[in-house]
Amino acid sequence: MTNPNLHEDDKKQSCRTSGTQEFLRSLQLNAWLAVSAATYVATLFLNRRHPGWSPAWKATVALMPILPGLLYLRNGMQLLRQMDELQRRIQVEAWLFAALGTVVVSTIINVFNGQGLNGNWPAHGLEIGGTYMTMFLMWSVGVTIAKLRYR
Amino acid sequence: MKNRLKELRAERQWSQGALAEKLGVSRQTINAIETEKYDPSLPLAFKISVLFKQPLERIFEPGQT
Repeated sequence: MTNPNLHEDDKKQSCRTSGTQEFLRSLQLNAWLAVSAATYVATLFLNRRHPGWSPAWKATVALMPILPGLLYLRNGMQLLRQMDELQRRIQVEAWLFAALGTVVVSTIINVFNGQGLNGNWPAHGLEIGGTYMTMFLMWSVGVTIAKLRYR
Repeated sequence: MKNRLKELRAERQWSQGALAEKLGVSRQTINAIETEKYDPSLPLAFKISVLFKQPLERIFEPGQT
């Protein structure tokens, strides 16, 4: 009488649909992050190619990745509001993990630099591009952990 | 928190996907509630209660998760 395995096709279809939606959602969420990373690479290239630019202009160019970064945040908040409560919790946990993880990585690099240790880490901290990349990596790890937890 | 969601769903021969659609949540949410890995919010718990026409305390009961 009680058969929780009924409608297997329905379940499979549902899994496929939610998987595709999840992929599209992740793509949408991270589109502005990709734009930020691309902008960062472009600003590095521009500032190195034009060493004669005024400091004010160099600073303006260097801060350009902030704009798509803010749009990424806005997009993230909008998507967060559209999610159901479990998905929202997963994302919030992942974001918290990403934020704290980035703080830890940034602190470690700064401590190493402060101690005069030379290694393969950035000499001036994470900078904009490194911060975005670290946050993205930490967010991916956070989402994976949270999904495994609620699977 | 323990719950009888899986039992109630099976009685009505609904799939997790179908129940998720009726409640406006993802299938993963239904699965997480059924496996007691996630406790639903009060609004969602009331939605479940209304859908199954059962009082909250007959669907959910306190317990370690």
